[in-house]
Amino acid sequence: MATLPQLIEEDIQHFSGILQELLKHTEATTALVIDKGGFLITHQGNGEEFDLTTIAALASGAYMANQTIANLVHETNFNSVYQQGEKFSMYATCVGDECLLVVIFQATLSVGVVKYFAEPTAQKLAEQLKIAHEREPGEGLDLSILNMADTSGVFKKKRQKRSA
Amino acid sequence: MAIINQATKELQVKIVYYGPAMGGKTTNLVQVHDHVQTSAGNKGKLVSLATSSDRTLFFDFLPIEAMSIKGFKTKFQLYTVPGQVIYNTTRQLVLRGVDGIVFVADSQYEKMAENVESFQNLEENLRSLKMNLADIPYVLQYNKRDLANAAPVEYMEFLLNNRDIQVPSFTSTAHKCEGVFESLNMITRMLLNKFISQNTPQYA
Repeated sequence: MATLPQLIEEDIQHFSGILQELLKHTEATTALVIDKGGFLITHQGNGEEFDLTTIAALASGAYMANQTIANLVHETNFNSVYQQGEKFSMYATCVGDECLLVVIFQATLSVGVVKYFAEPTAQKLAEQLKIAHEREPGEGLDLSILNMADTSGVFKKKRQKRSA
Repeated sequence: MAIINQATKELQVKIVYYGPAMGGKTTNLVQVHDHVQTSAGNKGKLVSLATSSDRTLFFDFLPIEAMSIKGFKTKFQLYTVPGQVIYNTTRQLVLRGVDGIVFVADSQYEKMAENVESFQNLEENLRSLKMNLADIPYVLQYNKRDLANAAPVEYMEFLLNNRDIQVPSFTSTAHKCEGVFESLNMITRMLLNKFISQNTPQYA
């Protein structure tokens, strides 16, 4: 299974620039880079209106499910899904082996335009991922600052309200 | 795989609840959703892709942002898989990128064969994703302890936790929220320990 390379702040900035350019060309509402496991990596555009964390999880699931269906009908050339809506539509396309580009756009916009610009965008994102793959793994974040003594109660149960 | 976002100091991890059908995986998520103590806005919606009879069809999904650990925002994504045997392809999809597993076993005597089958299925599915259970933190949760026909814990340990390295196991009655947070906190602890010892998670 492909895994994400180490991505640094510079990569994220690069992703952001590429996504902004896509939004400018297409007038789409929001563009996301997610990994196929369902994590949101970064986004540009309107992030307030939508629950992007959940969209990332569901979009990756939908994409992977459709890819599996495509495989079952012997379709080898599968790289995108399009969900047509009345208000907003969504287009998701493959970025390299491990990520997806998800574009949310108003249904009044043409999907053709989104597809047209999404393809080179996905290529640029994949190129940046390739750079990240080839980069020497630098010093990462020092995880030892996570104090394990504190983690026994990362999730705490709410106290029960006393019944009258 | 887990993602650490250096720009925003966020840690994102994926925990999957696995186990036989009707074992209580979705109930675990519902209880976490209902009872977790978080700051306002840190708990996402519980998304359930279920059939009309409340059987999980694709997965349940609950994003939670736990309290900050030393400045890190820790975002946990909890998933369940459909337990029914026919949905194996779906289970493989959900397992992709998993960081930690809570195996929810059904304590009823007559469910033991299903528990073992589901555990073997988990190992097979991980292998199909080129992953190995030995490399992934997991805990066992023996659910439905309140039922009269629950098998002894020792018996379940013998069936499911009989390996070179034994993993933590918990008894639970998920619908009463007993053992739910204990399992979740232990898998969280194991995950963070793994990251610290390896110090090679994904960086975003």
